[in-house]
Amino acid sequence: MSFRLHRPTPFFLRLVTILLLAVAILLPPTSGASNIPPKSPDYPQGVSSINPGSDLWREVRQRDGLIVDGISQVKGVETGVLINVRGDQWARFRINEVTKTVSYALVGVFGILVLVFVLRGKVGIKGGRSGRVVRRFTDYERIVHWTLTIVFLFLAITGLILLLGRPLLLPLFGKEVFALFASASKEGHNLFGPLFLVSLLMMLFSFTRHNIYEKGDLGWLLKLGGLIGDGHPSVGFFNMGEKFWYWIVILIGLVVSISGLILVSPNFGQGRVIMEISHLVHVIGALVLMLGSLGHMYMGTIGIEGALQGMTSGYVDTNWADAHHDRWSRECQQKGLTLSADEFARLRGETPAADAEVAAQERAK
Amino acid sequence: MARMKFYCDAERCIECNACVTACKNEHDIPWGVNRRRVVTIKDGEQGERSLSVACMHCSDAPCAAVCPVDIFYTTSDGIVLHDKDLCIGCGYCFYACPFGAPQFPEEAAFSSRGKMDKCTFCAGGPEDDNSSEEYKKYGRNRIAEGKLPLCAEMCSTHALLAGDADVLSDIYRKRVINRGASAFDWGVNFDKAKL
Amino acid sequence: MIEYLIDGPLWHLSLAVFGIGVVWKLGSIVFASRRQDLSVARAAAGPAAFKTVFSRFIPHKEISSQIVIPLVAGYMFHLGLFALLFFAVPHVSFLEQNLLGFGWTPMPHWAFIVSAQLAFLGLIILWLRRMTNPVSRLISTLDDHVVAILTFVVMLTGCFALLEGATALRLLHRFTVELWLIYFPFSALMHTFTFIPSRAFTGAWFGRRGIDA
Repeated sequence: MSFRLHRPTPFFLRLVTILLLAVAILLPPTSGASNIPPKSPDYPQGVSSINPGSDLWREVRQRDGLIVDGISQVKGVETGVLINVRGDQWARFRINEVTKTVSYALVGVFGILVLVFVLRGKVGIKGGRSGRVVRRFTDYERIVHWTLTIVFLFLAITGLILLLGRPLLLPLFGKEVFALFASASKEGHNLFGPLFLVSLLMMLFSFTRHNIYEKGDLGWLLKLGGLIGDGHPSVGFFNMGEKFWYWIVILIGLVVSISGLILVSPNFGQGRVIMEISHLVHVIGALVLMLGSLGHMYMGTIGIEGALQGMTSGYVDTNWADAHHDRWSRECQQKGLTLSADEFARLRGETPAADAEVAAQERAK
Repeated sequence: MARMKFYCDAERCIECNACVTACKNEHDIPWGVNRRRVVTIKDGEQGERSLSVACMHCSDAPCAAVCPVDIFYTTSDGIVLHDKDLCIGCGYCFYACPFGAPQFPEEAAFSSRGKMDKCTFCAGGPEDDNSSEEYKKYGRNRIAEGKLPLCAEMCSTHALLAGDADVLSDIYRKRVINRGASAFDWGVNFDKAKL
Repeated sequence: MIEYLIDGPLWHLSLAVFGIGVVWKLGSIVFASRRQDLSVARAAAGPAAFKTVFSRFIPHKEISSQIVIPLVAGYMFHLGLFALLFFAVPHVSFLEQNLLGFGWTPMPHWAFIVSAQLAFLGLIILWLRRMTNPVSRLISTLDDHVVAILTFVVMLTGCFALLEGATALRLLHRFTVELWLIYFPFSALMHTFTFIPSRAFTGAWFGRRGIDA
């Protein structure tokens, strides 16, 4: 089976298409096609079908989307159902629309980020680094964040192998080798799924206090964080963009987790349609998370100078704090929670500049 | 080349389940896996019909299209077979198949579903014809012996037909004519039927 | 060829290195010469040593609030791993066929899944704690990190081979296990056995002076 990708449609059109198609698949059609002939002057009460066979097979064919439940001596999930029309629709939708949309969305957003970096560059710290640092994230918060990161990246990669492996990787590696990757990915993905839910809950209980709406957040949003108007609007611990991202992670992450749990536990006898809907919800939710993560990873590493340090060491430069989170920085200064550059270096196990000088002088003697 | 298909004549099927039993016995199919099943519609009402359903060996099979590992292949006879060695047990073919033909041996949560099993039209799998590995994994290979699937051979009323599509449609056409069926009555017309 | 090597000579080599290495290293600790303890013996050292091996499973309440994360994650990981290693269905069969000749009842499938989740999450949190806590980070050596990552890789390859279909995945898991066994006696993994003489020594040392350590 060959996968010919036609000329790419604009991203937003694809997104709208996928959303509309998802709605179309999820909602059963309401029209009921009936072959009963319309009323005519000769037969004012209407003519009923005199061929019972056609009624029967119309029901079996299920063009109306309602599943006819027959009886079978073989007991199992939906063994009484003769035809499930949704199955083929779901399969074609997954192979055609979903794979293409996911591929183009990921590549597109990655491309946009490259473009943003080329045009805007790394946002430096106004006034340069001061050397003094202030405590931003506790050990537990960092552990929670990086646990979620590791689990999410593993799930994203294994999930993408399962979704896009056949068109992209199978031609490269051949069926036998790719089947190994796919089997490993499926087992890994299934096992790490609940870890994502647990990490999400850990994050929910540790980061929520920083992500409640504060006065001034709407103002930040209206100025788009400083893109509109002049200067950086006033910000607390997290700005509105970060808060948005946090709640998207939590809410869509929960949706993805729950749909994943439905998919991975067939022992509750759920029918194929529930599985198909869960699968689509899972993929669309995961796509949103992956796209957001790309942006998040960009901002946290090469997009903003001095940001990554906060999540790795737990401390950020005071000038960075003043520039990006001024209200919180002022609170920390008032409480005296800053460290000097030497103290910070000692904490990290590096020789502070002052000590290095002394050591050099001692050696010179 | 032949294009192999199943056809179940709903007028003749008496729901005896001989096809189900024959298939299960011939291929040594484990507990819980059922390659073929008989479905009865309008049970107990007028117009009750039964149909024997297994893999329909579709020309454009949804299972083959959706499989993430591409384990399905169609033989030159139009029989859709699959390679159990490559199967990862994801279950997508079961979701996609309109007839629910793919079956899985395991059903626990978080577990792999095991290797997918389905009707092979008694044509085995990618292993060597009539070898013991082929029998262990896919069951008997009757097509390689020049025989037709056992379910159709065992059908007590010749409701289930299996073979080349042209031959099958010819047989069925003759039956329809003999029954005196018409566009207004697809069933047996006992006045006109030449039985 | 690779299958023969991994199932055969390399397996025997790894068992030999593991067995001889552990005995050698433990022996070198237990039989090391110690300077004579000149303090006044106020109580018996022996019973105190025995008691301390078990009492240290629960941290002292003075520090317990500081080490909640390694405590919880540590137990999650170790208990999960123990359950997986000795009571998972493929492992019980393996031990019966390849090593011991006898088996025992493995745990049900849901227990296997729960153990696996606990083990993975515990290990990830433990290693991240090692990286984020300033003190842990400073005193951690390369060996500490290698041990965490190697154990994670062993567990991950085991997870990959769960379908028990593809030989290559099972061989990969087996191979990482053999690497782990060979690395074991020369690494921090020896804490599996050395925690006993370590706690016993501390218990004896302080118990002799009449202190409950």
